[in-house]
Amino acid sequence: MSVQEILKTFQDIAANPRAQMDRCLAQGDKVVLTAPVYTPEAIIHAMGLVPFGVWGADLTLRKSKEYFPAFICSIMQSVLELGINDTYKGASAIVIPSLCDSLKCLGENWKYAVPSIPFIPMTYPQNRNNDVGRAFTKAGYERVIADLEKATGASFREDRLGKSLEIYNRHNAVMRLVDKTLTAHPEVTAAQRSAVYKSAWFMRKEEHTALVMDLLDALNDAQPGAEKVKVMTSGILCDSPALLEIFDDLGFQIACDDVAAESRQYRTDVPKGLAPLDALCEQFARMNDCSVLYDVEKHRAQLIVDTAQARGAKGVVVVLTKFCDPEEFDYPIIKKACDAAGLPVLLVEVDRQMANFEQARTALETFRDVIS
Amino acid sequence: MFTLGIDIGSTTSKCVLLKDGTHIVAQALVDAGIGTEGPEEAFQSILAQSGLSPEEITRKTATGYGRTRWQGADNEISELTAHALGCHFLIPEARTVIDIGGQDAKVISLDEKGRMSGFVMNDKCAAGTGRFLEVMAGILKLEVDQLGDLAAQSVQPVNISSTCTVFAESEVISQLANGADRADVVAGICQSVAGRVAALAKRAGVRQQVCMSGGVARNRGVREALSQALEVPVVWSPMAQMAGALGAALHAWQKCGKPT
Repeated sequence: MSVQEILKTFQDIAANPRAQMDRCLAQGDKVVLTAPVYTPEAIIHAMGLVPFGVWGADLTLRKSKEYFPAFICSIMQSVLELGINDTYKGASAIVIPSLCDSLKCLGENWKYAVPSIPFIPMTYPQNRNNDVGRAFTKAGYERVIADLEKATGASFREDRLGKSLEIYNRHNAVMRLVDKTLTAHPEVTAAQRSAVYKSAWFMRKEEHTALVMDLLDALNDAQPGAEKVKVMTSGILCDSPALLEIFDDLGFQIACDDVAAESRQYRTDVPKGLAPLDALCEQFARMNDCSVLYDVEKHRAQLIVDTAQARGAKGVVVVLTKFCDPEEFDYPIIKKACDAAGLPVLLVEVDRQMANFEQARTALETFRDVIS
Repeated sequence: MFTLGIDIGSTTSKCVLLKDGTHIVAQALVDAGIGTEGPEEAFQSILAQSGLSPEEITRKTATGYGRTRWQGADNEISELTAHALGCHFLIPEARTVIDIGGQDAKVISLDEKGRMSGFVMNDKCAAGTGRFLEVMAGILKLEVDQLGDLAAQSVQPVNISSTCTVFAESEVISQLANGADRADVVAGICQSVAGRVAALAKRAGVRQQVCMSGGVARNRGVREALSQALEVPVVWSPMAQMAGALGAALHAWQKCGKPT
């Protein structure tokens, strides 16, 4: 298949998650929803279930407003709205981690608003990289396993988890490789790049890995397109078709990202040499550089600077999901680090209910004038 | 060589015709913006004033929120880029440009050569914009242009919330019901806009000379309140409202390979 044909496959999957879910259900598979930002997908995978990412959708919020206050993350609100609207009908359970206050609210609200899909909490520790933190994480995973067994009837075996971890590590490696490869291919649009990442949430990782490998082969045979204005994106989510269209219209190339739903997922592998469940805990202990992962040093800011410079990005576009306080807390630190490095930063506020991106267009158009 | 800039805003359409990138030949302001005949009316006014045909204008550049809608343009640029160019032309010493438009406010940082080095825009909120002033003027049964002179007569400005146009409207009505002097209320309104925009400017970094651009620059009350809030002089050009259109005309000139 050609690059464009493979990208079209990614885009079709990313744009039609319900069709993907129906396909799984029709095959007799049980689907378990996984909420942002980090959920132990490998455990779900190891139990023979299909993990299915839920990051909400761009829609008008109505029923979820009965449960949430007005000024709260619209990703969480839209996940609940879709749950109430039966969009996830057929799912066996939802795992919601406790990584921010909004997620905690989502979990509690889900229990009452969507009783047909059991809520499974994953409670992570703030101080994750010490013995107590690891034990706390492990207790959280054990709770998830027990709840999954109850909700789905599936059973957990640690040797199967070991095999799943290999699949997830392989997927991580392939995603890191495609991320670097795409930097050299400006002809791949922002919308197409987004679909490569977004589709991963709706596919078994071994299947997604195979498709990404096909893309890598095709890209290696393809002639890179004309140069565009390279930028780096940062934020929780950057998948709005209207926003991505503006990036493409204005001649930007997203050369790399620090987006939670994209590259942040694939930075840290599960280490080898430990019992599988301990290894999964160790992976979480080693994870960093994310607004919802406690980090006194805030190394994330320097990582953004280093990545942007290494990939030739001329600026950083912070796509800030409105009312996401972890990201809002990090923004001044990121701005300061980028300013010190002479790297221009643009802040664009977005939410799941935005119907008009004209202000974002004006800001991005001006930013292009500043950096090019 | 003639180049034209057209700035299509939310409430007005502005046009500037430039000769050889230095001489303003004609300008037009029509009180009708996006989605109206305003842009075409402004353009026809320019043609009438200059006696030129459209073909005699080498390049036309559009800016403002309606920039993509005007069919006559050869290209379009954002209003921030346009105001930066226009203000540098009008006031070369300007390093911080504050543009309060009909529906938003922007602060632009310029370097010594007039190039944009950064900018910030307000969020989606009418507070601190020309729309805020229009709403308040409507409550007081005044024209927006009357606000500045009335504010100058104030002895003790009242405190108006700077966070929300809807709540501020209630506050103004309450102040009037309690017998507050109209001039003091108007001064409070101007201070409210200035407070909001000053916070935005401080985020961008304030470097002198600070220059106001856009239609609200004509409002003496807001200018003076802004100067107080920023603790620096705020200068303006009588052509401030035309700065975007002027910048677009300058950009058109640059696009023809003639840098100013």
